[in-house]
Amino acid sequence: MPRRSLPFLLIFTLALTVAAALRADSGAEASPGALPFGELEIFAPKDLTTEINLEGALLKLIGNATGEDSPEFAKLISGLQAIRVQVAPLKNLDPGKVRAKLDQAVHWLDSRGWTAIVRSRDKGEETYIYTREIKGQIVGLTVLSFEPGKEAAVINIVGHLDPAQLGRLGRTMNLPQLEKVAPKEKPRDGKRPG
Amino acid sequence: MSPQPEICTAIQALLEPYVDGELSPEESLKVREHTAHCPACAAELRLCTDILEELRGLPELDAPPAVLARVRQEAQAVVPFPITTRERKWRRPLALAAMLALALLGSLLVENLRGVRGQNEPHPTPEQVAQATEQARYALAYVARVSRRAGLELKDEVLPQYLVAPAARTLSRSLKDNLLSANDPAARQGS
Repeated sequence: MPRRSLPFLLIFTLALTVAAALRADSGAEASPGALPFGELEIFAPKDLTTEINLEGALLKLIGNATGEDSPEFAKLISGLQAIRVQVAPLKNLDPGKVRAKLDQAVHWLDSRGWTAIVRSRDKGEETYIYTREIKGQIVGLTVLSFEPGKEAAVINIVGHLDPAQLGRLGRTMNLPQLEKVAPKEKPRDGKRPG
Repeated sequence: MSPQPEICTAIQALLEPYVDGELSPEESLKVREHTAHCPACAAELRLCTDILEELRGLPELDAPPAVLARVRQEAQAVVPFPITTRERKWRRPLALAAMLALALLGSLLVENLRGVRGQNEPHPTPEQVAQATEQARYALAYVARVSRRAGLELKDEVLPQYLVAPAARTLSRSLKDNLLSANDPAARQGS
């Protein structure tokens, strides 16, 4: 081994170690099922009425807390790495700009190996549901929704998902509750998703 | 007892590196022990030491630049890869060991930092867990609502447009034809 290559090898090894550690450390964000909220910047933080950012340990705690009452919900939640929701009312926004941002997100999903299971454009309403599969297993779900005059939303669920289970659970949840449980959520520890 | 010739050959191969101080402590000890009771090898060792001292006593002369350049040129042409000398043999395992140690250290450091950060993070209160549960339920319900809306659109728009409306049109046309033919005897005869 030539003497001059030794320091380079050491630096290279150190860089690899640090890169691997950082990659492992970035958790859900690095998962193939994650939507890069920060990169896409679909909504400005000030425009959001609901922002949810649940990750790893907290999801496990939810799973533990709900295990007895709702075992299926607990099982689903425990298998997830992250749940992120951003909802922005369109009242004070330029719908054209929001739609363009959603198109950009759709383009990103199309170009990154996501599969569109729903693409719906009707009377100005737009709905996109994408899934990301790795080795035949769903590892991410992204929902983009645009309701003219009402609101636009982006939802990203990261982790191993069973769509049938998700559908069953979704059906059991009351929609009126959706309106009730939609206060402005403060980001945890000042963190914003993405 | 006289030393075995193969041992002497092996020791004599080590004499020059021994004099140059390139041997490991174990190898050096081996040379010292052997030369202590082997007169032939001791004589060889003395010769090596004398030559080295003679060489060290010679004045240092610089080779003419033209000669140096030619030597370098020929060395490059003849030796396409770096010469591995005895001195450098230890570098490979040492470098590998250093790399492994570095990688291990890096992983330990990161794990340690994670642990410290995990300890510093406040443990969520039951209220926070309850709030997070509501948020998770909200997210799933929102997904369900959006997918249901897309499904309803399919039911309300696509099915009526492509299945219900054409079927209704066909039925209506056929009823109209039947009514017409019932009211028109000529058409009834013709049919």
